[in-house]
Amino acid sequence: MTLAHQKPSETAQTEVPEGHVRLTIDGQEVIAPKGELVIRTAERMGIVIPRFCDHPLLDPAGACRQCLVEVSMGGRPMPKPQASCTITVADGMEVKTQLTSPVADKAQKGVMELLLINHPLDCPICDKGGECPLQNQAMAHGRTDSRFVDRKRTFPKPLKISTQILLDRERCVLCQRCTRFSQQIAGDPFIDLLERGAQQQIGTSETAELEKSASHTPDGTPFQSYFSGNTIQICPVGALTSAQYRFRSRPFDLVSSPSVCEHCSSGCAERTDFRRGRIMRKLAGDDPDVNEEWICDKGRFAFRYTTARDRIRKPLVRGEDGELHEASWPEAMRLAAEALLKARDGKGIGVLTGGRLTLEDAYAYQKFARVAARTNDIDFRARAHSAEELQFLAAQVAGTTPEHVSFASLEKAPIVLCVAFEPEDEAPIVFLRLRKAARKMGTRVAFVGQWTTSSVRKTSGELLACEPGGEAAALDGIAEHAKDIVEALSAEGAVILVGERAATMPGLFAAVQRLAERTGARVAWIPRRAGERGALDAGAVPTLLPGGAPVTDAGARAALEKLWRLPEGSLPAEPGRDTAGILAAAAAGELDALVVGGVDPDDLPDPRAAREALDKVGFVLSLEMRPSAVTERADVVLPIAPTAEKAGTFRNWEGRDRPFEVTLQNTGAVPDCRVLDTLAVEMDVDLFTQTPKAARADFVRAANSVTRPAATPVEAAPEAEQAKAETNGHVKLSTWRQLIDNGSLQVEEPHLAGTARPAVLRLNEATAQRHGIVPGEPATIRTERGELSFPAEIADLPDDVVWVPSRSPVGVYEALGVGHGGLVQLSAGTAAGAESAEGPAGETGGAA
Amino acid sequence: MTQAPETVFGDDIVAKAQELKGRYPESRSALLPMLHLVQSVQGYVSREGIAFCAEQLGLTEAEVSAVATFYTMYKRRPCGEHLVSVCTNTLCAAMGGDAIYKKLSEHLGVGHEETAGEPGEPGSITLEHAECLAACDLAPVIQVNYEYFDKQTVESAVELVDKLRNGERPKPTRGAELTDFKTAELQLAGFFPEDEERFAADVDGPSAAEETLRGAALAQERGWIAPPMPEEGSRG
Repeated sequence: MTLAHQKPSETAQTEVPEGHVRLTIDGQEVIAPKGELVIRTAERMGIVIPRFCDHPLLDPAGACRQCLVEVSMGGRPMPKPQASCTITVADGMEVKTQLTSPVADKAQKGVMELLLINHPLDCPICDKGGECPLQNQAMAHGRTDSRFVDRKRTFPKPLKISTQILLDRERCVLCQRCTRFSQQIAGDPFIDLLERGAQQQIGTSETAELEKSASHTPDGTPFQSYFSGNTIQICPVGALTSAQYRFRSRPFDLVSSPSVCEHCSSGCAERTDFRRGRIMRKLAGDDPDVNEEWICDKGRFAFRYTTARDRIRKPLVRGEDGELHEASWPEAMRLAAEALLKARDGKGIGVLTGGRLTLEDAYAYQKFARVAARTNDIDFRARAHSAEELQFLAAQVAGTTPEHVSFASLEKAPIVLCVAFEPEDEAPIVFLRLRKAARKMGTRVAFVGQWTTSSVRKTSGELLACEPGGEAAALDGIAEHAKDIVEALSAEGAVILVGERAATMPGLFAAVQRLAERTGARVAWIPRRAGERGALDAGAVPTLLPGGAPVTDAGARAALEKLWRLPEGSLPAEPGRDTAGILAAAAAGELDALVVGGVDPDDLPDPRAAREALDKVGFVLSLEMRPSAVTERADVVLPIAPTAEKAGTFRNWEGRDRPFEVTLQNTGAVPDCRVLDTLAVEMDVDLFTQTPKAARADFVRAANSVTRPAATPVEAAPEAEQAKAETNGHVKLSTWRQLIDNGSLQVEEPHLAGTARPAVLRLNEATAQRHGIVPGEPATIRTERGELSFPAEIADLPDDVVWVPSRSPVGVYEALGVGHGGLVQLSAGTAAGAESAEGPAGETGGAA
Repeated sequence: MTQAPETVFGDDIVAKAQELKGRYPESRSALLPMLHLVQSVQGYVSREGIAFCAEQLGLTEAEVSAVATFYTMYKRRPCGEHLVSVCTNTLCAAMGGDAIYKKLSEHLGVGHEETAGEPGEPGSITLEHAECLAACDLAPVIQVNYEYFDKQTVESAVELVDKLRNGERPKPTRGAELTDFKTAELQLAGFFPEDEERFAADVDGPSAAEETLRGAALAQERGWIAPPMPEEGSRG
């Protein structure tokens, strides 16, 4: 090789940094990091090379061949045009794109013509028409006519690959973005390329042309992935569409508005598209710090609750006939204010806020509680909770920012230990990050749980199996059982993630803190609901003020009294009651009124007691969107705005603020903070939370005026020992909610509901045999309160442990009165037939 | 009363599947032989077969379906006792392969990948036209369960399938003795008779034909050798 071919250096060239190479693209010199794809380098220079299969977050495939460019190395041309999405930059490379090379241009035109041979060109009726890369590039670079005169290849259409996702195979250009996404990002390779050759097509095992023999057989598996909607969004043609959106609208008729997902605590960036005041669809927003370019199907498809027919749009007041009647705002407000004033001056008011509030609304609730109702009886935790949890949240979570633990730090962590946390069901985007970390960075992911769940499998995770309720002991003994994990946790950047289920297990938060102290690992708490983290920081808890100062801190109280222009000593100094305490007090007649915002009693550990408390308490004010068990029992119901109809901020689990503006303007719906502000005025108190903006400003001032105390150790709840109760004849219950279940924000979404994971009862083979349970056949768990039946499925749970989903569809708490870690009786058969079926087997005899 | 659903694939097949899995560093590599194993049981790849492979290898059924629908040697409809493949690639076709296929199709009353008789029953035959069977020097060729019948004519082909239908097992021109489709599939899956003699007879028959070796023999006779490779660096 000689140097003669090389171009003489035009200038005193800039030094090529270590790990970089120098090349030219279209005659322009550029320095690029080694390993970068040519298409990416060109992009950085502003040179757009057309492409379909290339996606920056997917592994290169070179499937569509649209991005062909001419390449020569050291003056020697490569014999054929190269796919710029798979070829990496090299020193001395000369690349000519379609802009400077007739060869590349002709190659690209040829590929485009080939891609269009079998494409139906049905753009006028295609969902993608108007925002379609194939359409756009055909218009920009393609021919105006086709030389193909034969019959196009067609397929029956559309093909239902799940209840939600529809496939029009004749539109497909076989770029494999959808299959690569499913395989690489989601870990759900339920779709693949079938029938390679002239009939090549995307399909599932259900759609594959296969025969079954006469015997029992499955029909194949549909595209059952929590992330399937992303394939629609990245499809560069209209081959994948959703049953929800198909034929509903044209892209150019939609108004797009950036938004934030209201479902889980990840706080994904979204784009909400609406038309004539109705949301038509949601798409993933692009936010590299949080959700990259993905969202889960719940975030994408679960929004019809806002247009549910039964949505409450006017205030309701219970009349003398015992029914709710529509009333004017002033009338409802006056009635509510009168009753609340009476209650405040009587035995008091309790405030239950649910976990779905924005930071601003949560702040308004706590200010309403402390200033208007003069109580610390406020709690956002509409789920199992404990004093230990609250201590932990105060000490370890309140006030933390993404600098503590973030999505990015999960990728950098040498190990992530998930405790009582099932990421794919509880925070799907955290799951995607963990999977990415495991796949790309070699992060170890370990789980303290009961069985090898899909989260464990798809993050190449290690399961530290323990009995439900045995998580605390497992953590304390981790040094003996899994020394290597302790060593890994001691390394820089190690993370422990703890989920909301931890609150059901006495001693677990204390054990988490001990482990963190022993190893130096950072702890993050990932609640399931979008509003929980913000509510904590806003002070919607019985023990903390906004900004995380304890209510017992006289200095902090004084600072807030000054800020809020209250008389000195007017803020209540005693820590309030938690959710359970408030409900118990209401039931016992120790409270005269409850203010309830967005709480579903079935989420609480004792739904019956909760309903009883709502029945017994003198006055119930409900702030709600749709009829619920609370509105049924409320005296006054005030309608509030769903996320799309208000502005606000969700503070995600990282402590990152995710502000959003109003998507649907002027619907007449008002946010909670404004309702509370007006109500407080009726009670002769000013909250200054008329708008989310005002509420936020007030929150920031409040948070800045108090100081958060140094972290204190968490005391294990005393019940820890009691958990080892008599287990004779019983099995232990492990349970959590699946992502797609009967949650109230998922109503009116039948296509989404169809992609829910089947509700099954999982247990190991030995336990199944002992109880005469056959896989696929029904099994029943029962307590004194009631029973639940599911088809049985074998999984690697510990002996005498069963797992069931918490609300798919029946609430476990409601049906059985126990939750995760509880004891239940297990038998074969369905609930109704179980009694007789189990008699002869002597099952009850053994359990008695 | 309920019973576990009968599985098509018994313990011996599970053991064989596990053995296949152990033969490769990446378990997914065992998929190709495992699909043959499935065919050795059912005579085709059914939905159960797909589910079985997926379960054994920790793949999804879609991933297994993708492979099973790629290769023509995986049959998606139940096959007969014998699989008769007629080469209709260029050379064989010109030498009479097309005529043979046409005649057999008429004679058996079936088309491509269709079965004359009840699939799996004795004497049933699945017919297919095949791509190149790698025996152009012996064209036109037919394979029965992948064993060669060379230099066929329309008449000899009809005679061959009639014998097969009568339950006879005509001797292939070369290679091993004729068995049936399922047995051949077990061999393709990588399971051979342990007995040396049976192995030699059933599997390892002499497969070279005189025509195949004629060129080599001529070259040896006349002392022809390939020209030397150009030395490294002396190119151009």
